[in-house]
Amino acid sequence: MENLLATSSHTRSQPLNGATDALPVLRLTNIEKVYQTKTIETVALNQVNLTINRGEFVSVMGPSGCGKSTLLSLMGLLDEPTRGTIEVDGRTVQSYSDRELANLRNLKIGFVFQSYHLINDLSVVDNVEVPLLYRKGMGGKERRQRALDALDKVGLSARTGHFPGQLSGGQRQRVAIARALAGGPEIILADEPTGNLDSVMGEEIMDLLLGLNRQDGVTIVMVTHDEQQALKTQRVVRFFDGSQVG
Amino acid sequence: MLRHLFTLIWNRKRANLLLISEVFFSFVVLFGVGAVLITAAKNYLAPHGFNYEQVWRLEVRAGQNLKMPRAELDDVLRQVKALPGVRTVALTSGNTPFIFNTNNSVFEYEGKKSPQANVYDADDHYGEAMQLHLREGRWFAPSDDGSNHRPVVISQDLRESMFGNGPALGKIFTWENPGKGPAKPEDEFLVTGVVDAVRMESDFSAAIPSVWKRLIPYDTTHWETANVLVRVAPGSGGELQEKIARTVAGVTRQWTSQVRVMDNERLHRRLYTLVPVVGLCIMGLFLIINVALGLFGVLWYNISQRRAEIGLRRAMGATGAGIGWQFLGEMMVVTTFGVLLGTLLAAQFPLLNAFDLPAQPYLLAIGAAAAAVYFITALCAWQPSRLAAAIQPAVALREE
Repeated sequence: MENLLATSSHTRSQPLNGATDALPVLRLTNIEKVYQTKTIETVALNQVNLTINRGEFVSVMGPSGCGKSTLLSLMGLLDEPTRGTIEVDGRTVQSYSDRELANLRNLKIGFVFQSYHLINDLSVVDNVEVPLLYRKGMGGKERRQRALDALDKVGLSARTGHFPGQLSGGQRQRVAIARALAGGPEIILADEPTGNLDSVMGEEIMDLLLGLNRQDGVTIVMVTHDEQQALKTQRVVRFFDGSQVG
Repeated sequence: MLRHLFTLIWNRKRANLLLISEVFFSFVVLFGVGAVLITAAKNYLAPHGFNYEQVWRLEVRAGQNLKMPRAELDDVLRQVKALPGVRTVALTSGNTPFIFNTNNSVFEYEGKKSPQANVYDADDHYGEAMQLHLREGRWFAPSDDGSNHRPVVISQDLRESMFGNGPALGKIFTWENPGKGPAKPEDEFLVTGVVDAVRMESDFSAAIPSVWKRLIPYDTTHWETANVLVRVAPGSGGELQEKIARTVAGVTRQWTSQVRVMDNERLHRRLYTLVPVVGLCIMGLFLIINVALGLFGVLWYNISQRRAEIGLRRAMGATGAGIGWQFLGEMMVVTTFGVLLGTLLAAQFPLLNAFDLPAQPYLLAIGAAAAAVYFITALCAWQPSRLAAAIQPAVALREE
């Protein structure tokens, strides 16, 4: 774990500048996720094998209820598989404690959600600072600077003092992307990031994500229903009824 | 993180106004109750300044519209004192310790007014009967018979307020506003002694500045009721009380008498004082329970409303325990806002010297109320915070 965190910290400070070096950053092997109640057993994912390489931009597609979000939760270490193993940077994380998983999420993974998940009572810059609050040893000044840098990157420098309620949907999603970027993650997991936006704004957000992938080498896994957007990414993974079909 | 919590609470001040108000009112109630209890406890632990044990109060009544000649009263005192088991007897006014009868006044010395002081009539044996502790000078004695002024003994607190650090013995003071023209000798009070401060009202009352005026022997006053303090030997009981009653009846059959044990009167007064205090405490307790339940409910509701935020924070790197501490921390910040407002109000009491109490009980009550409020809110926030800590991030994020 110590080595893993040290490696991730180093990686953050030296972005890959778009290079796809085919090193697996995330590997799911024989993953099954079963939701069990007293009467019903629901198989959300069945025998999923998936490798995400460093610097890749992967789209996950499939109809509603096919297990896309469950897959993203597992990749984001927010949930545990019923069977199978998850490896991050070649290390199996199943045995990690809650604290170790939280550290890993904080250092390596950035999340972007369809409904933005911004905290309405915090200003834009305070929202972007949230993941940095959980980073040990980071002072207030550094937090603020990193948040401002991230907002600059998504073109929202002029909105730092605004509150989410004062922003458009596209701007909110930019704030959410800035928040995901602020911690310098290796992977961004985006769950239908354009799902709540009109086509123009959706394109803007898609361009932003593509830019992050190509210019900054950020690995991105994006769940989407939009075939056009999926085609812009390097690889499309398709799911149906919990199984990988393509 | 603390700055983040303050920012969050401050930005949610409208939503948190109810919680802050509840904390504020709880603090004020606890401060009030605390100030009363701390003052009562402080007084209770202070010495009474006299010894009420083995002292009886003999009340002698001449009968309706009848007066008792002093000579016959002195005869009663002599005969009671001669009874086996009686150590000493002292004639005094009706405001004996622990009964609901007070006589107070304000005095003046060289233009300086005293605080409101209790005034007692006392004969030459009163000091001995009550075992008052002399700090300076002496109690009255027959040698005062020839005095041109009324000899008095005063309590230490009165001495400090009237004479400060200067000498008190031999000083002469008068009633407040003695009027124009020469004062009568009996209205000029000559200090012959100073005793410890006394608490004669109840176990929970503070010391009150006091003056004991000498009852001049063989005066021509005819009383309807005489109050006699009888100090008896330890172990004396009903038998001696009957003997005292018979002795009074033996002097004159028209007079009636009643003997009461001063310690019983103390306990009765204590009960009488405690009832409103206990009532206040019970009311305060019910209020606090209501507030606690309210806080509990509001926090529970808050958490159910903020499940998505909890999921988000977990996704961003918060641990389950960290989420629990955050909710607890938020409640502590809300409490701090309420306590600060309450402290602003409570601080006016010592600053304005309210109810003539020293600052110490108020400051202690502020500290105790703050500690109690923090404890109560932490207790109320504990279970909802644990609930928040246990929320699975994937589930919380999916619900949105």
